[in-house]
Amino acid sequence: MMAVSWADRISVLRHSPTRFLSGTTAECFLAELLRELRDDRASYSVKVLLVSPLCEYPTLLCPSDSVGEETALELMSVFAQCPPKSVQFRCHLLLALTSVLVCTSCVSSHSRVSQDFLELLLQIAQDSSDLQGDAAIRSFRATACDCLRELEACSPGLLFQRLEVLGGLRQQETSQLHQSFAGLHTLVLRNAVYQLTQEAGAGAEHLKALLGGNTSLSWDAEQDSDLMKNKDSAALSSLILGPMGTVPTLQTGPDCKELRSVLSSLLEESYLLTPLCQAALLHRLTEVVAMVPGVPPAVFRAQLLRLLGTSEVCLLHTTLLMKCAFTDSLFSAEDEAFILKRLVVLSQHPLLSTPEKLFYMACILHFPENRPISCGDGDETPPVLLTPRLASALVPTVFNDSATMLARLNLLSLVYLEEEGEGEEGRGLAYLYEHLTSLLDIVENGGSREIDVTFFRAAFLFLFYFCHVEHYSNSLMEKLCKLYLCHTRLAPRLINLADQTQDKLTESSWAVRLLRALQGVITEAPLAQLTLQDLSWHLKMLARMAEEGEITQHRTLSFLSMVIMPSSSSLCVSGDWRLGNSLLRVCRRLLVHPSLDSLLIPLADILQHLTCRYGDTDIQDHARLYYTLLTTLSRDKLAGVLAQASSEGGRQVKKRLLSCIMAESEGLTGVLTIHQTEKAIFRLIEAHFEPREETQSDTGSDRNQNEMETCPGEANAALEAYRAQFDDPSFASEITLNYRLAHIQANDSCFDQLFSIHLHFSLTDDHYEELSDISVPCLFRARPSPEVRVRLKPRRPYPTTLRASAIFTTQDGLSWLTVLPDIHVAFQHTFRPLPAPPAWGRGDKLSLFEGLWDEISSESEKEPADCATSLFCCQLKEAALIALVEKHFLPYLLSDLSDREEFKVIFFLAPQSHMLLRIRSEEDAVHFNITTDNWQLLPHISSYLVTVTSSQENTLH
Amino acid sequence: MSVRALWIMSHEKGDSVSIRFARRFATVEHRAKRLAGSSYVAVPEDNTVLQLLLTELGLSDPDKPFVTLRDDCLHRQKSPALELRVDGPGKGVLWPMLAISQGPLILCCLPLVDAPAEPRPPLASLLSVSQGLTLLAGLQTFLLGPGGKPDSEGLASRLATLPSVLLQVCPLGTPLDVPQLGAPASPAGPAPAGSQKQPAWKTGLHRGRAVVNVALTETVRSMQYGNQSRQDLWDVYGTVTCKCEVEGVLPNVTVTLTLPPNGSPLQDILVHPCVTSLDSSILTASSVDDYDGSAFSGPYKFPFSPPLEPFRLCSYTSQVPVPPILGSYQLKDEENQLRVSVTLKLHESVKNSFEYCAAHLPFFNRDQMGIVDLKVSSGQLDISKEKNLLVWSLGQKFPKSREVTMEGRISFSGPSPGPSDPLCTELTAYIKLYFKVLDMTLSGCCVDQHSVQVYSSAKPRIVTSRELLSKEYFIWNSTGTAP
Repeated sequence: MMAVSWADRISVLRHSPTRFLSGTTAECFLAELLRELRDDRASYSVKVLLVSPLCEYPTLLCPSDSVGEETALELMSVFAQCPPKSVQFRCHLLLALTSVLVCTSCVSSHSRVSQDFLELLLQIAQDSSDLQGDAAIRSFRATACDCLRELEACSPGLLFQRLEVLGGLRQQETSQLHQSFAGLHTLVLRNAVYQLTQEAGAGAEHLKALLGGNTSLSWDAEQDSDLMKNKDSAALSSLILGPMGTVPTLQTGPDCKELRSVLSSLLEESYLLTPLCQAALLHRLTEVVAMVPGVPPAVFRAQLLRLLGTSEVCLLHTTLLMKCAFTDSLFSAEDEAFILKRLVVLSQHPLLSTPEKLFYMACILHFPENRPISCGDGDETPPVLLTPRLASALVPTVFNDSATMLARLNLLSLVYLEEEGEGEEGRGLAYLYEHLTSLLDIVENGGSREIDVTFFRAAFLFLFYFCHVEHYSNSLMEKLCKLYLCHTRLAPRLINLADQTQDKLTESSWAVRLLRALQGVITEAPLAQLTLQDLSWHLKMLARMAEEGEITQHRTLSFLSMVIMPSSSSLCVSGDWRLGNSLLRVCRRLLVHPSLDSLLIPLADILQHLTCRYGDTDIQDHARLYYTLLTTLSRDKLAGVLAQASSEGGRQVKKRLLSCIMAESEGLTGVLTIHQTEKAIFRLIEAHFEPREETQSDTGSDRNQNEMETCPGEANAALEAYRAQFDDPSFASEITLNYRLAHIQANDSCFDQLFSIHLHFSLTDDHYEELSDISVPCLFRARPSPEVRVRLKPRRPYPTTLRASAIFTTQDGLSWLTVLPDIHVAFQHTFRPLPAPPAWGRGDKLSLFEGLWDEISSESEKEPADCATSLFCCQLKEAALIALVEKHFLPYLLSDLSDREEFKVIFFLAPQSHMLLRIRSEEDAVHFNITTDNWQLLPHISSYLVTVTSSQENTLH
Repeated sequence: MSVRALWIMSHEKGDSVSIRFARRFATVEHRAKRLAGSSYVAVPEDNTVLQLLLTELGLSDPDKPFVTLRDDCLHRQKSPALELRVDGPGKGVLWPMLAISQGPLILCCLPLVDAPAEPRPPLASLLSVSQGLTLLAGLQTFLLGPGGKPDSEGLASRLATLPSVLLQVCPLGTPLDVPQLGAPASPAGPAPAGSQKQPAWKTGLHRGRAVVNVALTETVRSMQYGNQSRQDLWDVYGTVTCKCEVEGVLPNVTVTLTLPPNGSPLQDILVHPCVTSLDSSILTASSVDDYDGSAFSGPYKFPFSPPLEPFRLCSYTSQVPVPPILGSYQLKDEENQLRVSVTLKLHESVKNSFEYCAAHLPFFNRDQMGIVDLKVSSGQLDISKEKNLLVWSLGQKFPKSREVTMEGRISFSGPSPGPSDPLCTELTAYIKLYFKVLDMTLSGCCVDQHSVQVYSSAKPRIVTSRELLSKEYFIWNSTGTAP
């Protein structure tokens, strides 16, 4: 039963941590997890499941380093008590420990528990008691090795001192475990050599000492000189980064016998590793040799033929990385030509998978040339050796899958682009164009959606490279127009193609020419065959064309008037709202077209016709609005109203305006959607704290009461009267925090004026009741910040953090969601003055103080008690003390300020806690005698007192 | 050289998409965060990843004809590494997401970028990418079996074993191996004595009679147009598969491939990683080079130490001068009838003894077949009117003349339209040939039983075989336009 529920809970956590944490807190869940792990009755299969969240989400469950450390300690003790035979569980425990320690930075801070764990792992790895070759024990040791490798990978240099030990272990091991040691050893070696390169003056001697395990000789003083302290991530990064990457080097001179012998032994045995481990090992060793110029890259030569002939993608890839690192010091010009040919062959090899072939094509476009011409700025460039003839093995065909076809088209386009002007150019380009047209034929014959997408991507690629070859780009335009007439459903794709070519090929007018040609095609086609479906696509296209200032719109207008006239269609009678909307959208864009003057009359006719005849009232209304705007406003005003005066590069910029909500369905969704801001826009700033001014509807203020008012008698009576007030549960149960709402940065003008701000708060713990939302009418950058009063109702008056978010509207009518920086509520923010009855004077309050003091002091001696007394001392001169009282305690002070003998201070903490202070200057120090009816507040008050008193000391000394 | 997370999803047409397995590697994520610095993009929750991936693969919103995010012509799927555009608070681009799909499964992983994140490093500089591809391919084979045919129960049970499989092959996000197929073979016995280290890719030791099985399969593909203006194409590739049961920790075996005199050299040779050494001359011939006649033409020696399971020792391609079966296909439109004329000629160098041989003639974008009046000179004709498909089974042998013909007319007058295909419109049509010939290869390449050398104490039994298979063997109608 329990097992099922754990499996379910963990699966929820793994799929959606936020959903999971909405039902519980990480703290609770972690505690439960650890309890269950210690439970002897739980089966090990369940326990394996239990540690998985710690492996996958360690930082979620252990939000701070200290929690991480405690969790790791718990896991270590679970490990210690776990019987050796449950190997699977012990392996998973090791993984969980590694994850927790690494991710909470216990490893990088050298915490005790991480040191212990490291020792444990080394011990397991070295445990040679499995002489029987027990596979289970071996896999346990392999896991320990991988944990060590990961620790070293995350904190390079961690095992610096163990290099020689690890090397020895690797050499002795004959079982499959040698692979784990080899991986670990190479990584530690690589990081150690890297570390030497970072140390000034390190050289051959140091390298020799390092490999001989003689670290004590030269690194006594550098016990913890590992690279973890190196805050940047350079040590984690690969050192082989292409022509622009620089590798740090270690000058050793030619004599590196020791390193060479280690390298050759590792390389000799590399054959015995799995391809994945071999690739990692070769890559690490490539880095080592690249860092030590004293070792010639030729050490790899014996492996090269085996690697170049391989069918394994990762092994061939390491060869390319070697080529990148060593260029002509390991690979001759013939080798280079051979490798490139090999890549071309592999890019189309019938036995390889598509992703592998695509990867090889990517390698061709970033081929590590011995003498690169370009500087390798990350752009795709075919190598010089890739001639059109060689590349012709990769011509795209209609039988290719979409990704392969596009990759090939891209590659060949690049090759032909390089060759332009030379004889071959024509044929290759002609082939590509022919290929594009065969794709177009397939689309025309009614291909699938995938083929449509592929064709338009291919068309974009072709235009991207060869738009300037007018012969082809014009011919493609004609074909696209024909295609559109057959398949009007392609309208959004054509619009997309026009948009993208316009954006990416700014010098070319191809997109505008295409749109103009399409306008011709649409307006000239016979109306008789027009279906409603076609018409709605046509209108979508015409609306796009109307955005182009350079395209004359007369044909569009005559088309519109034709389709709405009753003689030619029943459109107006049918009164379809969507269609009417599409018509209006075209009209609306025409209203802001630069050539509006010449369009005025026909456009007015159309609008008037729609106003009178269209079969949908909503459309009629809008048509009337546009008609009125058109006929009564001057051009400038019209542009102003429609707020589209600005245009960029001929194509007008879309803006959202309420006047267009209905005519622009995409605008409509924009307005109706709540957008999310990338950064916080505003925040709540603590306003000056003046508890005196606090509104206390239930108590009122008594500051001006006559001090000599009659005393209600003894302290007990005062206490009773005071307590009676709390019979009303809402009495003094809230605290009010004052904030101002203010902008954070001044750079985003679209957020200058915000309206209808709705603030929502959420709690991070359960010490307070849920907060209600707060509305703020507006926030302008230019005006003073509005005040915000947050009312908190404590369950327990502890410090807390509030999360806040807000929904607001900007001037352009869009709604936004933003997250505010967290609000920290400090302990002193929860203080309130004593909520004494309004009629009371100082004397009454003082007797209440005495009454409370005595009661609490006597209660605190009973066990168990909520009440407690405490003493806080500090060194303060008298003046400093008075300044302190004036600055921090005045609202809570009951005794007279002039009474220097003893200050009596009372903090009331909602809902019903009190903190009473008697402050006296004794001869050696100032004593703060504290009593409280809630002992759990003591740590908070003492840290508060430390803060205020030390700040007072600082200011007065 | 690690992956940050791994997902396995199943996606069936018309069926819902679900995440079947997911694993995040927290320590690798920790490194990713440090490496990327301010440009770090966290991995979103599984469902978000799933949605973004489907969008990127063009599989989201199957009912909507156009979705900009999915279909934008600017976005070229730079597969194998996809970009996931993460929205919301953790906005950014997750790259390089590797995804491979086969059948109902989509496997994907996010390799660690161990290079400065800005500007984006080329894919070719990240070893983690090729390692990720290897891991995914290995997992795919493990889950779907070598045939790639999934059965839902087998798949579910293999998915259930993934946590313990990953503990072996990728415990902390750094892939160490690909999962072994079948039972974790451990005829373990005592650990090997002596100083010879055991290969990590060999799970145990073989005991018993030594048997070496070498199978050579050649596959031929062809596109024949029967057209003066367009050259017919064909190519041949071969694979050598071995299963070696030989004693010893690291036994030596050598397999030699030989060609007949004047045989054209084997090209584009790829070898299994267990091959210990290669002669440089073996690798020189390449299909993208001009053949200059002086190239090395064998014998091709492959010394290796075999793993326990069957494996593909090597593969090659070869340029043979003629296709094994030369076909001609002619269609003529005659008043709602199609006149069909087919001739298939078996080349004289090919053994006239098939395991099977059949020609498929599909007709697309037409009404269903009505009257079929066809005569074949040999073999048997099956007509499937619903599929508009003719299957011409040629049996085991061509007649003595080595030539078969089909003549006649088909009318397409059926009541409902037949299948459609955007490629095969009007007279664009093809014949697809399926055949298999045992004990022969087109290149003439063979493995002689006596050339297999095994350096071990006991004399092994050696079995060799070879066969020729067709694949994508098309003969296009010469009167129509072929794509």
